[in-house]
Amino acid sequence: MVIGEGKPIKDILFMIENYSKIILAGCRGCVTVCSAGGEKEVGILASALRLARQNEGKEIEIKEVSLERQCDPEYLEEIRSFVDEYEAILSIACGAGVQFLAETYKKTPIYPGINTNFIGVTQEQGVWTERCQSCGNCKLHLTGGICPITRCAKSLLNGPCGGSSDGKCEVNPETDCGWQMIYDRLKELGKLDQMEVIIPINDWTTSRDGGPRKIVREDLKL
Amino acid sequence: MRLSYPTNIKIIKLPCTGKIDVLYLLKAFENGADGVYVAGCMEGDCHYLTGNLRARKRVEYAKKILDEVGIGGERLAMYNMSAAQGPRFVEVANEMTERIKELGPSPIKRKSTVKGSK
Amino acid sequence: MVNLTIDGRKVEVEEGTTVLKAAEKLGIKIPTLCYFEALTPQGACRLCVVEIVGGARRGLSASCAYVAEEGLEVRTDSKRVIEARKLVIELLLLRCPDVPKLQELAEEIGIDRARYERFKPEEEKCILCGLCVRVCQELMHVGAINFVNRGSSRKVSPPFDEYSSVCVTCGACEVVCPTGAINLDEITKNIPRPIKADFDERLATRPSIYLTFPQAVPKVPVIDRQTCMHFLNDACGACESFCGPKAIKYDQEDEVRELDVGSVILAPGFELTNPSLKDEYGYNRYPNVVTSMEFERILSASGPYQGHIQRPSDQSGPEKVAWIQCVGSRDNSCDKGYCSSVCCMYATKEAIIAKEHSPDIKPTIFYMDIRAHGKGFDQYYERARDDYGVRYIQCQISKIVEKPKSKNLIIAFIDKEGKVVEEEFDLVVLSLGMTPSTSSRELAEKLGIETDSYGFCQTDSLNPVKTSRPGVFVCGSFEAPKDIPETVSQASGSAAFASELISEARGTLICEEEFSPERDISGEEPRIGVFVCHCGINIGGVVDVPAVKEYAKSLPHVAYVDENLYTCSQDTQTKIKEVIKENNLNRVVVASCTPRTHEPLFQKTIREAGLNKYLFEMANIRDQCSWVHMDKKEEATKKAKDLVRMAIAAASYVEPLQEQELSVTKRALVVGGGASGMAAALGLADQGFEVALVEKEKELGGNLRHLHYTLRDDGIQTYMQSLIERVKNHPLILVITDGVIVDFTGFKGNFKTGIMAGPGMAYRQIEHGVTIIATGGEEYKPEEYLYGQDKRVMTQQELEGKIVRDEINLGHVNEVVMIQCVGSRIPERPYCSRLCCSAAIKNALKIKEKNPQSRVFILYRDIRTYGLLEDYYTKARKAGIIFIRYDLEEKPQVKIEKGALQVEVDDPALGERVVLNPQLLVLSSAIVPRENEELATLMKLQRTQEGFFLEAHMKLRPVDLATEGIYLCGLAHSPKPLDESLSQAAAAVSRACTLLAHDTVSVGGMVARVDGEKCAVCLTCVRVCPYDVPFINEEGVAQIDAAKCQGCGSCAAECPGKAIQLQHCEDKQIIAKSIALFKVEAV
Repeated sequence: MVIGEGKPIKDILFMIENYSKIILAGCRGCVTVCSAGGEKEVGILASALRLARQNEGKEIEIKEVSLERQCDPEYLEEIRSFVDEYEAILSIACGAGVQFLAETYKKTPIYPGINTNFIGVTQEQGVWTERCQSCGNCKLHLTGGICPITRCAKSLLNGPCGGSSDGKCEVNPETDCGWQMIYDRLKELGKLDQMEVIIPINDWTTSRDGGPRKIVREDLKL
Repeated sequence: MRLSYPTNIKIIKLPCTGKIDVLYLLKAFENGADGVYVAGCMEGDCHYLTGNLRARKRVEYAKKILDEVGIGGERLAMYNMSAAQGPRFVEVANEMTERIKELGPSPIKRKSTVKGSK
Repeated sequence: MVNLTIDGRKVEVEEGTTVLKAAEKLGIKIPTLCYFEALTPQGACRLCVVEIVGGARRGLSASCAYVAEEGLEVRTDSKRVIEARKLVIELLLLRCPDVPKLQELAEEIGIDRARYERFKPEEEKCILCGLCVRVCQELMHVGAINFVNRGSSRKVSPPFDEYSSVCVTCGACEVVCPTGAINLDEITKNIPRPIKADFDERLATRPSIYLTFPQAVPKVPVIDRQTCMHFLNDACGACESFCGPKAIKYDQEDEVRELDVGSVILAPGFELTNPSLKDEYGYNRYPNVVTSMEFERILSASGPYQGHIQRPSDQSGPEKVAWIQCVGSRDNSCDKGYCSSVCCMYATKEAIIAKEHSPDIKPTIFYMDIRAHGKGFDQYYERARDDYGVRYIQCQISKIVEKPKSKNLIIAFIDKEGKVVEEEFDLVVLSLGMTPSTSSRELAEKLGIETDSYGFCQTDSLNPVKTSRPGVFVCGSFEAPKDIPETVSQASGSAAFASELISEARGTLICEEEFSPERDISGEEPRIGVFVCHCGINIGGVVDVPAVKEYAKSLPHVAYVDENLYTCSQDTQTKIKEVIKENNLNRVVVASCTPRTHEPLFQKTIREAGLNKYLFEMANIRDQCSWVHMDKKEEATKKAKDLVRMAIAAASYVEPLQEQELSVTKRALVVGGGASGMAAALGLADQGFEVALVEKEKELGGNLRHLHYTLRDDGIQTYMQSLIERVKNHPLILVITDGVIVDFTGFKGNFKTGIMAGPGMAYRQIEHGVTIIATGGEEYKPEEYLYGQDKRVMTQQELEGKIVRDEINLGHVNEVVMIQCVGSRIPERPYCSRLCCSAAIKNALKIKEKNPQSRVFILYRDIRTYGLLEDYYTKARKAGIIFIRYDLEEKPQVKIEKGALQVEVDDPALGERVVLNPQLLVLSSAIVPRENEELATLMKLQRTQEGFFLEAHMKLRPVDLATEGIYLCGLAHSPKPLDESLSQAAAAVSRACTLLAHDTVSVGGMVARVDGEKCAVCLTCVRVCPYDVPFINEEGVAQIDAAKCQGCGSCAAECPGKAIQLQHCEDKQIIAKSIALFKVEAV
């Protein structure tokens, strides 16, 4: 899922400085699961913003809503009936949701309340870690199910750099070396010979460097 | 025991401090509290096993938010005490009252009142 | 009844009621000085004047004496009244300017400075109201004092200004005097003798009418006829006048009642050993030598010194405090040969609490052996020693000497080096033992049951709760000295046996309550009824209840408000029901005392009126207001309004909740076929319930198969055989051997357990209403002291087997060494295995019995033959068994020298290293739980660090697990000897029966509920629930079983989608309270 975390409250306050009537929109999708933008966070952030503004002596009215998903057009309609009564929307969905809202409600300024960080997993309750950089060219079949693009700080494709020591990464000694993990996993699987297969230079055209990507399924299109 | 404590202490009862929501803490300040404290069981003695340990973490989180919005995290505290410790309850009530008196009224009360909607 | 109007408000009162009392009913306060509830009013002080504006006698009148008439109109606040009262106070102040009570009254009525000069140069406190004189005459029938002289020399005095000879020093005059003018010393030469409070160990005093102890059930006061003036002199009777509900009945007599019962349980408890038995410690002679129970009261916040640690001689705070253990225990010189079992732990606890209270206190405990044999006790003892700095000195103290001037106490003891040292202490606590009381001995005699030589009830180790008389059972310290967990567990155990005898009659004496259907309130706007309680003077004396009532009327959704003297009284319940119906109320708020005691009563009342019991809120304006803000009446009233406003706000959001009734599967599953499991299965089956008993081995028996004799019984194997026979042949017991539990679902009353059993591992499922865990423990296989490397080294259990099977020729064994605490009380396994000391003594005695010439050494750290087992320790020492103490730091060394076993150990008594060459080295090995991790995971049961199952509460719920419907007994709980396991098995039976005896269980109410629409299936609830209740259901959303949810609300607090609400404690209800609390503009 998409993992995000709340922006510092002072940054948000700065963004909405000039408004006194806003919508705070959460999302019941990924950001609920990673506790960044669900209904609970909507309540807490709204309360915090009101407190801050009360402290500044500047009134603010906040309409609290949680949309089913901000990345599907139908769900964005949930706020259509009252959106014009408000000066701005603060969305705590992922970057996709924020943009989609902005596209849908062109007249209303949209602000992001969270930073969208990565595609990842719940490592344990309260801990999320990155697993995928959506490069569009999956190589997990070659690397024992561990992504070198994501897990190696340098996204190396053919083994570790010279900075791998004691299984840790030189970029951040607290991070496990991606290639050490790949090696260990392959060894466990009895497939160490995979290590010798040279992975060719990556084709980054499928990745984000080539501009916004698009997938069309003709069979599904209406 | 009927030990006396300051009248400004008002209690909102929860089944366990594990039910404490960061939102309740913030809302209390929004509604006009000058200080809030959570009184939980002694650590290790939670009737529901770990509620008071979870509560302490949430209180810490809420303190951080209160710092960020300029209310001040020192207006929020968590104390552990057992039902048998009447004098401890009074001691905490006095300690917290003193602390809040020193800090003065909540900064938002010195400003204009603000409307919110949900 | 008569109707009158006071300050424009109408009130109806009984005929004969005074205007003062009528005003009180309206909550109008009239100041008084000479008025006393129990005396005929005299109207002497004139402070209570009111103006009669309509009626026969118009003008100013004393309200305390004016009897209300029909149609009377009274003003208590007119200008004339105020002026008159002002004058009264001013004149009184003129005479007694220094009396605080008058100064207060002056301030209240608004006199800021006196208009007149001081009348008398000397200090005068008496206002000549005559209350004292009237009390002495009218109430006490004594007449020791009266008014003497005239005019300005008028005063209250005994005749001729001499000391009175008739005064009974009751002190009533002192008590009633409103200004503190009476001094008993000036009236009589008799010295008042305050009544000592037994509950406070006679360190504090009490009145003649009193609560026997704060936790008394029922919590009603009693009158001590020995000291009560009413019973002594047919006088007084004040308590009768004061008691609002008229509960005082002087003519109550003891009655003899006959009850037909099927079984009897004896639980008469114990007495403390008389400290005078040990005269050498100077109790009674030295004020600063106190008993452990006295010290317990001294520590208590509700005790004689309000929890400040003081010593009796001079009320100073002691610094050096010593405890002397085994006072009247383990002492044959005073016929108390047994160990009292609890004193080591209570002394440790007292030392810790004392230290927590005043960190300057330096506690020292003089002991013989530290007996921390209970679950978790050794860790507690170590914490006392290492973290709190409690000093433990192993030495028996022979006497205490007092220093006459300082009243400090000198104790001589032998230190580690063997030198005699004298040390001075500020306070000495005697750790008194337990002894059966004289009355329980008499009881035993009356019932014809046998007691032992100490007076404890006789039982045998295989029937630990049965007395010598069938149908009479025993529990607690009358059976033997024991701590709380064993007492509670034995109490449940005796209940099991007692109810087994009469199980056929179960449920025959019950009458069921029937309720009319609940009214559907959906779609209705909240209509709230508010009842504000005076609680006599408990609330009304501090909080202005009428003002709170008036205020409540102004709040949103409030449709009805009333005040009651006692909202909990029977007639108020009737009234509440009527009011609900008449006013079509759909929510009720009671502002009174604590919901802990009274919520169920009010919930029942509204239910009887057709409202769902959850449509109720309570504001605790007593415990949280009047009781704790007594001296701040105005602020207390303001706070009471706040609390009421909060309750009303929350009440607007409460919703009806339905509890579900689910049928109970009347079958038990017992896991484990050892002694505990078999005893539990038989117990349940004998009560008439079906039982499935699962044993993972091929055979039943467990550890019993290795146990042949105990200190008290030889026939263990016979007992086991009969137990197995009875279990196997019982028509209600299904025995599954070779069984492994593979799955487990359900909740109390409705469990389903999957078992793979038999050689083919066939799967079957058992449905059952309760579960008893008796998975047991086993002897730890040592890795130390050459065990496993040399055949001459063995465990106690192995030795016992070899002796019984004649595999050892004891005639040829000259020297045996036993080492205690092998694998116990070490950092990896910090607990005491409880039964190894007695096992070692049992086997040592057996060896001595077979070969009296043999030398048997027991190397120990503390001998823990607690309770009556101590007699066997004495017997062993008499039999010549040699006990050598060793420290954890200096463990015995074991090696093989020239083929012979050699054990070396430092003997602290000799101060030398002893070298022994035993033919047998027996290790008293720890008891460890049997493999139970998988079961714990399947059933989601908590375990201690050491792997024993963790009960719901160590002391008060020793056989319940945290999950309802699952109970625990035997070694799976903690190490314990056979009799205690059997007693605990019976306790588990009893607890299980409380559930099985019902046809249905009620579930739901204040539990968490998931809104599937909002659920993001994030698993947060699944992870945070301490009881593993939430799961993701077939519809792909979280689900919480109402029957399993304990209602803590953790999941609701953490759900990131706000999809979970704890019913009756929902966000909107809590936040409504918080908003209402601060909505100041409404006040």
